[in-house]
Amino acid sequence: MDLDANRSLIAAALGRIPGGDRAALQTVYRLTSAKLFGVCLRILGERSEAEDVLQEVYVTVWRKAAGFDPNRASPMTWLIAIARNRSIDRLRASRQRRNMEPIDQAAGIADTAATADSALQGAQEHARLHDCLDALAAHERAALRGAFFDGNTYEDLAARMKVPLGTMKSWIRRAMIKLKACLEQ
Amino acid sequence: MSDTFDHSDLPDDELLAAEYALGVLADVDRVAAERRIASERAFALLVAEWEQRLAPWAAEIPEVVPPPRVWERIATALPAQPQDSLWQNLAFWRGLSFAASALAAACLAAIIYLGALTPQQPLIATIEGDGRRHFVATIDVSRGTVAVVPAAFIADATRVPELWLIPSDGKPRPVGLLSADGAVTLKLSSELAALAAGKAVLAVSLEPPGGSPTSLPTGPVIGTGPLTSL
Repeated sequence: MDLDANRSLIAAALGRIPGGDRAALQTVYRLTSAKLFGVCLRILGERSEAEDVLQEVYVTVWRKAAGFDPNRASPMTWLIAIARNRSIDRLRASRQRRNMEPIDQAAGIADTAATADSALQGAQEHARLHDCLDALAAHERAALRGAFFDGNTYEDLAARMKVPLGTMKSWIRRAMIKLKACLEQ
Repeated sequence: MSDTFDHSDLPDDELLAAEYALGVLADVDRVAAERRIASERAFALLVAEWEQRLAPWAAEIPEVVPPPRVWERIATALPAQPQDSLWQNLAFWRGLSFAASALAAACLAAIIYLGALTPQQPLIATIEGDGRRHFVATIDVSRGTVAVVPAAFIADATRVPELWLIPSDGKPRPVGLLSADGAVTLKLSSELAALAAGKAVLAVSLEPPGGSPTSLPTGPVIGTGPLTSL
């Protein structure tokens, strides 16, 4: 789905929710639930958990829509952040379900090529982020991926990549500093 | 454990915001960051900036259409809307109106029952038509009054209900205008009171505002009822 083309539609619907407009929430759901369900499912790895969290996500959207500022954030960024955070909260509450497969840091994780449809405006943003991630060391990129897509903590990542916790913190922090500098270029 | 990397390039708050947005903080640290997001606008903005930087990565996550039951559960979980409230529910008001009418009729029946114990018995008529009981009327012959209570009468947008007394000669006599909203007590002339005491029928017709311009009904007669003494 062309989420970026729908950006203004989603933003407008979010703007109507604080007035108690259920149809507006349904519009947001119709336009975004497949993406957000994908995000929840990716982090939680289990459908029934992901369904529960997706429900929480939209109830959160209903309650917090007044706090969304279209001048500051894109609606999808705001929604994806809610979906990731609610999924991570759920993951933390049931820690044994997270992905703890060992990560081979020498090989790094083979990065998926940019899969976003090039017709999308967002593809440009994605390509830029991808370039900056590519500029990182393989072990840094692997650590960030484990955090972003699997919802891993510092400790999880240290265990998966078999390095001390302090080393993992340094890798991530160094990677975030490099990432920010690269994106601001 | 000391960090093996000097992260002085970024302020501590900026790093904490990045760690929160990425999702690597566990338990206590995560909860503490959430508290700061809720209470410190500057920190919340730092987190929002990091979420903006990372969000494009989600483009790599395939979309999965959730089953319809998820939306059904969301709709159920939302608080009731103002327009769903009883206040604006027409069916509720109709039900209440019907209940109030039934109550009014019951009260009237009680009054009439008590009245029946006195020598001057009132006369009662239920004015029905088209399967509906529109009004209940009670005539106090000694006082020369008629009290009319709306039951299932539905107000007409342009016309008003008018009460007629039809004695045994079959000629309608105008009594007065009724209200869809509440009980009305009308004065009966001594002539009308005397006619009512004989064999008479009450009728209601719909008339232009102000009542029939003639001495006879001009609009449709919506209901009639014979006057009887209990």
